[in-house]
Amino acid sequence: MTTASFGAVARRGGRWLPFVAVAALSGTAVTLALPAVLGRAIDAIVAGGGSGTWVALAGGLVALGVAGELLGAYAGTITVATAAAWLRERLVRHVLSAGRGVDAGDLVSRVSANAVDAAQAGPTAVSVATAILPPAGSLVLLTLIDPWLALAFLCGLALVGAVLRAFTRRTAEVVGAYQRAQGRIAARLTEALGGARTIAAAGTTEREERRVLAPLADLRAEGERTWRVLARSSGQAAAAGPLVLVAVLAAGGLALAAGRISAGDLFAAGRYAVIGAGLGGLTGTLAGLARARAALHRVGEVLARPTIQYGPAALPPGPGRLEFRGVAVRSGDATLLDGVDLAVPGGAAVAVVGRSGAGKSVLAAVAARLRDPDEGEVRLDGVPLTDLSHGALRAAVGCAFERPVLIGGTVADAVGLGLARDRVRGAALATHADDFVSRLPLGYDTPLADAPMSGGERQRLGLARAWHAERLLVLDDATSSLDTVTEMQISRTLTADGRGRTRLIVTHRAATASRADLVVWLDAGRVRAVGSHAALCDDPDYRAVFV
Amino acid sequence: MNALRFGLAALPRRPLLALAAWSVPEALPSALLGVAVARAVDSGFLAGRPVVGLAWLGVLLLAAGVGAIGARQVFRRLGDVVEPFRDELVRRVVGGALRRAVAGQPDDGAVVRLTRQVEIVRDTYAGLIVVVRGFVVTVVGAAVGLMSVAPVIGLLILPPFVLGVAAFVATLGFAAERQRAAVRTDERLSATAGAVLAGVRDVVARGAEEHAAAMVAGPIREQAAAERALAGTAALRTLCFAVGGWLPLVVVLAAGPWLVRRGLTAGAIMGALTYVLFALQPALSRLMSGLGGSGLRFVVTLDRILTASTVVTASAPRPVAARGYDVVLRGVTFRYGPHAEPVLRDLDLILPEGDHLAIVGPSGIGKSTMASLVCGLLSPASGSILVGGAPAGVMPGTRVLIPQEAYVFAGTVRENLLYLRPGASTVEVEAAVEAVGASTLVDRLGGMEAPVRPDELSAGERQLIALARAYLSPAPLVVLDEATCHLDPAAERVAEEAFAAREGTLIVIAHRVTSAERARRILVLDGVSPDLGTHAALLSRNPLYRELHGLWHPGLIAGASPTPARPSPPVKPSALPGLPALRRAWPSDPADQGQPHAV
Repeated sequence: MTTASFGAVARRGGRWLPFVAVAALSGTAVTLALPAVLGRAIDAIVAGGGSGTWVALAGGLVALGVAGELLGAYAGTITVATAAAWLRERLVRHVLSAGRGVDAGDLVSRVSANAVDAAQAGPTAVSVATAILPPAGSLVLLTLIDPWLALAFLCGLALVGAVLRAFTRRTAEVVGAYQRAQGRIAARLTEALGGARTIAAAGTTEREERRVLAPLADLRAEGERTWRVLARSSGQAAAAGPLVLVAVLAAGGLALAAGRISAGDLFAAGRYAVIGAGLGGLTGTLAGLARARAALHRVGEVLARPTIQYGPAALPPGPGRLEFRGVAVRSGDATLLDGVDLAVPGGAAVAVVGRSGAGKSVLAAVAARLRDPDEGEVRLDGVPLTDLSHGALRAAVGCAFERPVLIGGTVADAVGLGLARDRVRGAALATHADDFVSRLPLGYDTPLADAPMSGGERQRLGLARAWHAERLLVLDDATSSLDTVTEMQISRTLTADGRGRTRLIVTHRAATASRADLVVWLDAGRVRAVGSHAALCDDPDYRAVFV
Repeated sequence: MNALRFGLAALPRRPLLALAAWSVPEALPSALLGVAVARAVDSGFLAGRPVVGLAWLGVLLLAAGVGAIGARQVFRRLGDVVEPFRDELVRRVVGGALRRAVAGQPDDGAVVRLTRQVEIVRDTYAGLIVVVRGFVVTVVGAAVGLMSVAPVIGLLILPPFVLGVAAFVATLGFAAERQRAAVRTDERLSATAGAVLAGVRDVVARGAEEHAAAMVAGPIREQAAAERALAGTAALRTLCFAVGGWLPLVVVLAAGPWLVRRGLTAGAIMGALTYVLFALQPALSRLMSGLGGSGLRFVVTLDRILTASTVVTASAPRPVAARGYDVVLRGVTFRYGPHAEPVLRDLDLILPEGDHLAIVGPSGIGKSTMASLVCGLLSPASGSILVGGAPAGVMPGTRVLIPQEAYVFAGTVRENLLYLRPGASTVEVEAAVEAVGASTLVDRLGGMEAPVRPDELSAGERQLIALARAYLSPAPLVVLDEATCHLDPAAERVAEEAFAAREGTLIVIAHRVTSAERARRILVLDGVSPDLGTHAALLSRNPLYRELHGLWHPGLIAGASPTPARPSPPVKPSALPGLPALRRAWPSDPADQGQPHAV
């Protein structure tokens, strides 16, 4: 199952969902039966003698209703919590195995908010199925007591509807103006926070505070308008509120005077009028269902993305020879890479250069199997990357990025991602990350949130994280923020560590290209030339790549 | 509860009184409901006088009209109570965020707090007032009505009702604790999921999918457990409702025959049950969902705002009359944590008035820390930093710091330029703009009165505005912390030379080694032993400085040059200097991509 169907999510609520349904049904039965029974009980009490049965019945119904409520409240919460946790774990795992092409902020909202809404699928389906019963039943029962009651009820309802119409539109308009005023304050605050160091040095905090808060008066004015609109609609609601009840009581009173119904019937009629007017609540239930469906759709979109499939193969011994065979990568109509044939000798350092948009990062992603080519294949020591098992592939190939995203509680976690501490330290030493990590407040145990880092420092941690790779290191502009000497030192370490790893280095720097054994010059998704930096430098077009 | 106290203290007296006064007419419908039903039945419909019955029902409509006027006024007064409260919260959030940021504690959540959390508190605060006030009004009205229908029924109904309400209130603290736990787990989940999902590419590249999934699975399960724990509180609330809402009904029914024997009419019993079902039950259910829902949201969210907006500031140092602005550092040691390696160790430095110092060294070695220390934004672990004989930071007017990220705010060009010297004349402003080389930019923007949209300026343009502003400021001590890094070398030279010619002391945290060559003295930071000297002296004695200088100048591979005046022959990779001798090196910046990097 790749998508999350309504039924699947509902079933995931587990064994408590049937209880939600039982509770809802018994609640409906009690709601509808109780007014009639109360009416009979009142009549019996007034008539004197023989009221015991009806009173006992009423008491029993109340007890049943309370029991149903208890069960419903408990089972509903458990169902949603269980289904939400299930959906969330699936979402996270799926996203991780699908790899690239995700917008994190959007995904977080799907995992945190949409998953809960979707988890409501079971309980909302139950409430929609049962919510129509009380109002519809009330109308039927009113008709049974006296048809005029039903007519009075409908007339009252029409009146209320007419009074309360214009309400939402006005509200939306006022709220929009309010939010714009709020946005102005937020924008000024954002600016000022960005300039905190200037403000701190200038000692102008109070002045900034006044500047940020200047639109507060507007906010106040817009805020007061929202209350005036709300006041008007509350007044209308209060005036219209008892219309239905009074209409039914009047019709019922006349029927009582005419002897068609009893006092108990009149009481029951009043109650049914109120339950029937709950028809408005049905829109809320339907909205809940719509929300659950929409959320399910958003969750399903994520689960429908294809995942990376790994093969069964292990890597034979080899130097880390990397081959591209007729590799083409497309995105929509755009061709990102086309007809790339390359053979990188094992242990070589290969620079990949080219203008922005030439396809350098795509080539790196394909080499690290973060993306599969649409045509052709990539082989490492003769084995197609797609044949390699997850473990074999990721142990052999490491990839570092221009903007590494660091994940974990502490700096050590971020570098290790599950590795032992001594390997973390070793990698950090090799990438010269140890220099600044040791100056952090708690060294390697410094929480990431408390370790503000420059781009170069993050890159060094990103490199350390990829350092474990056994045969191929792909550096996608991964040293662009480093000072040149640190970069040189790192590349020396890479060459001198005796492990002879193949390196594919995407770079914008001529200096980096000049140190590489071989340069691959990409232009518009194609390999324009392969050769040494010195040889390629004769071409002015090549030199222009670095300007 | 801190938040609750704060919310109560914020209630203004006069609007609150008006709110209470308008609640009286608003309560009329619920007070009259049962009475009108009882009278309509007893003296109207059952007595064969339907017109009287209808008249009593008409009274109900009339009461609804009066109640509507009350309700309308109540909501208008509600604005008078809630809006000042919101203003206070906005002030706290803004003030707190600014002060924290200024104290060097960046706060990513401030904007969310301002837009989302303040609104949640505003809505729930109003909701709480509406619910609590509505409950009191309805219950008082219904109690009065019940007593006037038949006091004995009132005495049967009210005790279980009060019991139910009391039981509910007693469970609130417990429910709040669980709710808070659920909110905490929810936030932890969002934070962890956010961090992991932002790094999917990185996780996959490392093959750490299982590790990452496990990182999120923990918070997911904790969150589900916290939600399940809430099921218990929901059930408890239902029980309280059974006692307060349903028990009175059962009691009246059970006592029915006895009441009738005491002479109570059908109308009276119907009236009593009407109060229970149509007034007390809805009021109780609204109170429960109000307090249990928005009440808890109110407390939890307000708590968060108050905690996050509290700023622990050291009492502002008393301004001391500084004599002059010479900078004296004695034995300064600074580290970012008790277990961290020091960034600066035992540093001595004296800058006489009028000096021009450049600080050079690799990134992350502590150059910006030096700037912050001299400006008093950071305090050393030991040692002293005096400016004009007074502790640094005491006299903010003495110095101006321009950080790498220049601060430009939405306003006119003039407002931005006058930021540090509000009284400057147009001539002075124009002279400053001209001096730092910002004239072209100001013209392009449309002159002094043109509006500036910071997000539409490039980083370099923002730096030019900040430079002109600093040049104009009356401060004699200027600290440029890589303040020209987004300018091209020629523009950087213009700006720096302007500051060098300006009266006063200039400290430049150098982004390019050319900045150092223009300085009178240079401080080389290498993380071990700082070295102070002139360009010539350092070139001859400091190997790191020599390397930094050499790195910048010799190998110009692709043509362009930061210092066109000094072309050097290309150097082949094989001619690399002895790398192991290098300890640290000259930093380059991402903005420099495309610039030549020497080999």
